[in-house]
Amino acid sequence: MTTGALIFAFNNEQTDYIAMAAWSAERIRRHLKIPTAVITDCKDQSRLTKFDHVIAADPVKGGVRFFDDYQKTLTWYNAGRIDAYTLTPWEQTLVLDADYVVCSDQLTAVIDSTQDFLSHRMAWDITGINNFKGLNWFGEHNMPMWWATVMMFRKSPTCEYIFNCMKMVKENWMHYKALYHSPGSNFRNDHALSIALGIVNGHTLDINNIPWGLATIISSYNLTQISSDHFQIEYFDQDKLKTIDWQNMDFHAMCKRQLGDIVANTV
Amino acid sequence: MNTDNLITHARARFDHVAARRVLKEKYEARMLFAHAGGMWRAGPELLVLLATVPPGDAVVLDLYETPIQVNSDQLRGMAMIRWQEQMNAWLVDHEQLNKKR
Repeated sequence: MTTGALIFAFNNEQTDYIAMAAWSAERIRRHLKIPTAVITDCKDQSRLTKFDHVIAADPVKGGVRFFDDYQKTLTWYNAGRIDAYTLTPWEQTLVLDADYVVCSDQLTAVIDSTQDFLSHRMAWDITGINNFKGLNWFGEHNMPMWWATVMMFRKSPTCEYIFNCMKMVKENWMHYKALYHSPGSNFRNDHALSIALGIVNGHTLDINNIPWGLATIISSYNLTQISSDHFQIEYFDQDKLKTIDWQNMDFHAMCKRQLGDIVANTV
Repeated sequence: MNTDNLITHARARFDHVAARRVLKEKYEARMLFAHAGGMWRAGPELLVLLATVPPGDAVVLDLYETPIQVNSDQLRGMAMIRWQEQMNAWLVDHEQLNKKR
């Protein structure tokens, strides 16, 4: 069985997702020992040398969104994720956000699992300040949210149903948004995934997930790199500056601007 | 009562508890591993369970509550090694954390 990682990388006005994905591809190869494919609209071959496969695709707008770290409203190219099933070159695929930072071999447990589909059910704030209630559940009915940040899937009828269902949710987004009382107007992969997983699993919410939480650094925290797999997070707690050392543990960096700076200084 | 001291102490305590929680999340995640088609958490529960089944083949529920046929000795050996390795690493990190207090 072929196994590899898949990253979507469509630059917007501020964030160089292609550089971020290339930086991530090297880390994936080092820690997880698997090849990486990128789905991108970038045509500059010199920027794509870190990837084992390059899949050309047009960006699909998920809308515009205000990014705290840039203090700007930017285009959000997030919606192509539902095509991962048809575009992947692998039989077993690990879809990772470009801003998911691999610092360990932890995800090998997910790759070695025989489940058809796995994603994170719960994210947690590494500072312990935020409880992420508004992120781990969505809508007025507090539907549990599965994160599309990390998804492992196999070519299988179940996964085909999941991705087809995500596509259906996207095509009928206003209906599902109203049905689940999902806030905001933008299409969100996480919400579409959660709705699709619910439908495909017979609305039982008995859904297998990655059995640990998604460590998350939100955009208001300051992220710096000390060494390859060692990062430092600075944040203010009641006007007091605090720091956390973060070593050999994967994380989801919502602070895209700072991650972009780290990547720019590395390459 | 000096409330400033109390506030300082409470904040330091919060930070320490938050740092302990990070270590717990880190090492609990590392206790997880896949084997024989199942997902397992190395730790006392699994080790004690495996100590109660006869040597050789056994059927055990994995983390996803799926019955999996395993060689109990093999799984126990893997779980024991992983548990001890990660507990030792956790102890080192925990002691470093205590030094910072």
